[in-house]
Amino acid sequence: MAGLANVFGYGAMTNSQNDIRNSRSVMIIGMNPAENHPISMQHILTAKEVNRAVIISVDPRFTKTSAFANMYVRIRSGTDIPFIFGLINIILAKGWEDKKMINERTYGFEALKTEVAKYDPDTVADITGASKEELFRVAKALAENRPGTVIWAMGGTQHSNGTAVVRSYCALQLVLGNMGRPGGGCDVFRGHDGIQGVTDVGGGPEHLPGYYGIAESAWKHYSNVWDVPYEWLVSRFKSKEMMEKPGFTVARWYEGVLLDPKELGQDTNIKAVFFMGHSTNSMQQMDRVKKALEKVELIVDFDPFVTNTAVLPDRTDGIYIMPAATNYEQPGSATNTNRDLQWRQKVVDPIWEARTDLAIMIDLAERLGFKKQFIHNFKRDWRGVPASMKEVKALPDQTVEDVLREINSACLSIGYIGQTPERLKRQQQWAHVFDIKTKKAEGGPVDGEQWGLPWPCWHDKHPGTHILYRLDTPASRGGAGFRAVWGPKAPDGETMLASDGAAPVGGPNAGYPAQKEYATDLTQEPIKQALAEGRNPYGNGRARLNAWNIPDPVPTHREPIHSPRPDLIAKWPTYDDVKEHYRVPQPYKSMQKPDWVKKYPIILTTGRIVELEGGSAAERSSWWLVELNPEMYVEIHPKLANDHGIKHGDWVWIETPEDMDDKPSRIKVKAKVTRRVGPDTVFLPYHWGGVFEGKSLADKYPEGTAPYSVGESANTVTTYGYDRVTQMQETKTTLCRIKKA
Amino acid sequence: MTLRRVRESETLRSSPVETLNPLMDRRKFLKSAGVGLGVGAAGSLVPNPIFREASAAAVEAPKLAQYKTICTKCAVGCGLIGEVKDGVWVSQEPWFEHPINQGSLCAKGAAARSAVISDKRLRYPMKLSGGKWQRISWDQGMSEISAKLLELRKKYGPDALHINFSAHFSNEHGYGIRKWAGMWGTNNVDFQARI
Repeated sequence: MAGLANVFGYGAMTNSQNDIRNSRSVMIIGMNPAENHPISMQHILTAKEVNRAVIISVDPRFTKTSAFANMYVRIRSGTDIPFIFGLINIILAKGWEDKKMINERTYGFEALKTEVAKYDPDTVADITGASKEELFRVAKALAENRPGTVIWAMGGTQHSNGTAVVRSYCALQLVLGNMGRPGGGCDVFRGHDGIQGVTDVGGGPEHLPGYYGIAESAWKHYSNVWDVPYEWLVSRFKSKEMMEKPGFTVARWYEGVLLDPKELGQDTNIKAVFFMGHSTNSMQQMDRVKKALEKVELIVDFDPFVTNTAVLPDRTDGIYIMPAATNYEQPGSATNTNRDLQWRQKVVDPIWEARTDLAIMIDLAERLGFKKQFIHNFKRDWRGVPASMKEVKALPDQTVEDVLREINSACLSIGYIGQTPERLKRQQQWAHVFDIKTKKAEGGPVDGEQWGLPWPCWHDKHPGTHILYRLDTPASRGGAGFRAVWGPKAPDGETMLASDGAAPVGGPNAGYPAQKEYATDLTQEPIKQALAEGRNPYGNGRARLNAWNIPDPVPTHREPIHSPRPDLIAKWPTYDDVKEHYRVPQPYKSMQKPDWVKKYPIILTTGRIVELEGGSAAERSSWWLVELNPEMYVEIHPKLANDHGIKHGDWVWIETPEDMDDKPSRIKVKAKVTRRVGPDTVFLPYHWGGVFEGKSLADKYPEGTAPYSVGESANTVTTYGYDRVTQMQETKTTLCRIKKA
Repeated sequence: MTLRRVRESETLRSSPVETLNPLMDRRKFLKSAGVGLGVGAAGSLVPNPIFREASAAAVEAPKLAQYKTICTKCAVGCGLIGEVKDGVWVSQEPWFEHPINQGSLCAKGAAARSAVISDKRLRYPMKLSGGKWQRISWDQGMSEISAKLLELRKKYGPDALHINFSAHFSNEHGYGIRKWAGMWGTNNVDFQARI
């Protein structure tokens, strides 16, 4: 979410799936909702049918979504920025930009303009493979059909410059004036059911819940919320320095096991690793993951199913697999892709010996000696937690509700305040009164509320914010400018506050800074005061087309680490090597070798399919789903297949560059010969596991737990390459060679 | 779905259909159905005449508790209804009023129940010992895991642990695990969604 947050202030989808019904154009890039978010297509197709919206699909693959589109443009994987900037180039040349939006609500337009000038149609056609005519047609369609939305997913983000790609999408929407209005927006569709919420109020190696970061001030905020002395928290860490240093990520944690500690950003290797509902087959460079799993002293996998993690490493001891409950076996709230919080009732108790994750966490805290602090906050202890957790499978509803109440009182920065358990449960019972197009309730006890109380929801009477950054609505009803989070002035002295006349209605008609201490004052008085005066608590600032404090302040094209175009590597090289990023060294230029394409001439990209999801231990254990899509495959264009003597259904080897190891990685899969991919690209779905480099691991599962379908993992052959800002893995572009097995 | 269909036809038989549509008045409807008229026109509400006699003998419809939940398979957030009998999730129903999906589901959502009832579920804790999977109790597993963690903490410090948690977590679990890691004393906690 670093891409969106660095432009607008919040890292989240700005509009909603339902709101796409208001769009007149929908550009879907690096994404395949017909398979990955199938039900969202109802809204997209309604826009197409009712508004005659133009649906544009931009992707290296002709996907099932492309089949529904009015226009399809095939681009080479990893060339999103040239494509988008090519569009902006045409839009500016034709004078189709929204000058009011640019002048009043953005910063850095001149810098953007200078960069965009490099992307004339000829240059773009050469880099992306799209024709000049296609480029012009798309630009015209977007300009003539406003409001329009741009939707993307991992196809746009899983690149070594993924954050910059996201910012280029945002720039396009700002230039078109599509932000902060129904039918417009930057609508990233997120992958998993809990991903938005867990990003928001979970956090990660570099931030605490609510995007508070991990600086001293953030820990002090949480020492207040958790009602523990700040010094106690410091004492739990190795040092204050380590407390304020981002940890390892999912993308490269294994290097924390494998590399010499001298190369790491901490003085010890990782010795123990927990997996809690996370599968290793979604991790890039799986051969490295395997080695790490063989080297750590302790692996614990809490999961409803036996995952790839348990069977991948060749070892004889030190793995624990502990049955966790699914989300159907416990209550709780989940935030969907458009910031809607929805309450889940428990359908059944955890079956067999499964336990809920909360029960597991509290049990461990008890055994490790910090249960007292863990279940406590500044209001009270979580109710319903027994003195001993030894035999507890699940906590009662009220414990889960108390955790949500703690979130409500802690995550003030993003307005996770008004989504109380009571309100979420009431909405669940009144779902029928919400309008499909506006997501607004009409009548009943929830009258005027937005479905899911999308954040920011500033207090327990606030309706939630359906569409972010919208000026035609008062702050008390969800209106807001862009977040004033970068201070009052940019380094070049220009103002970061919105112009006079560009403010949410009903308050001061000008830009203004964030209310002081609105995010840290647990009494919530600053928030109330701002709203009483018609101001949005987070201020009214400008979106950044020039994000001065991150690499590539204005996005620029950089060839993927594994690029098939040596000539373009010379002109658009990747980043300089980075000594330390999330505690590991992160080379770029030294890993980008123009020669690779000679041995590995084919582009390899990965993605999802409709029947499976993620590492898919659960879906591959569902007979119904396995029946629909039983085995791993590679999509190959007929020409490529014929040139290699491969027929539909043949076994093929796919090999990718050796990167950090001494030998190429390889997998053996069946060929699906199809024109979905172009002749220069092959595609792998990434859901399978349980086979490694041609060898089945099925006999390594405990008896009766191997899924109905095992197969090679695409990530065995994905290669080195990580986003410069977030360390997101570059799974969408690498190089490979294929041969008949 | 099958169970629900039976129940619907039972309802139709045991209580009058209340309708604003005069053509669909219950008595008239039955009468006309009885003489073999209007069957096609009334569409899905019409009980299959072939089955009528048999089920009119009235098997008691099973009483199913209904619970509203949200699909766990992607971020769209579709609602669905789980139906439970004697503590067992026996069937799934569309949640038609849900403002995002209006009842519809994709293949994965339609198979939501299988995540719980699959034969392949891990039923009890196990550990790999001497190359063999061995069944253990929760208490044994958790005490061995925590003893090992404390030993590693003493030897290498809290940063010797890394946690890969899940984008499938509920908000409460996501919040909980970050709080847990903070109190354990490490920032090595991630679920990969920072972009």
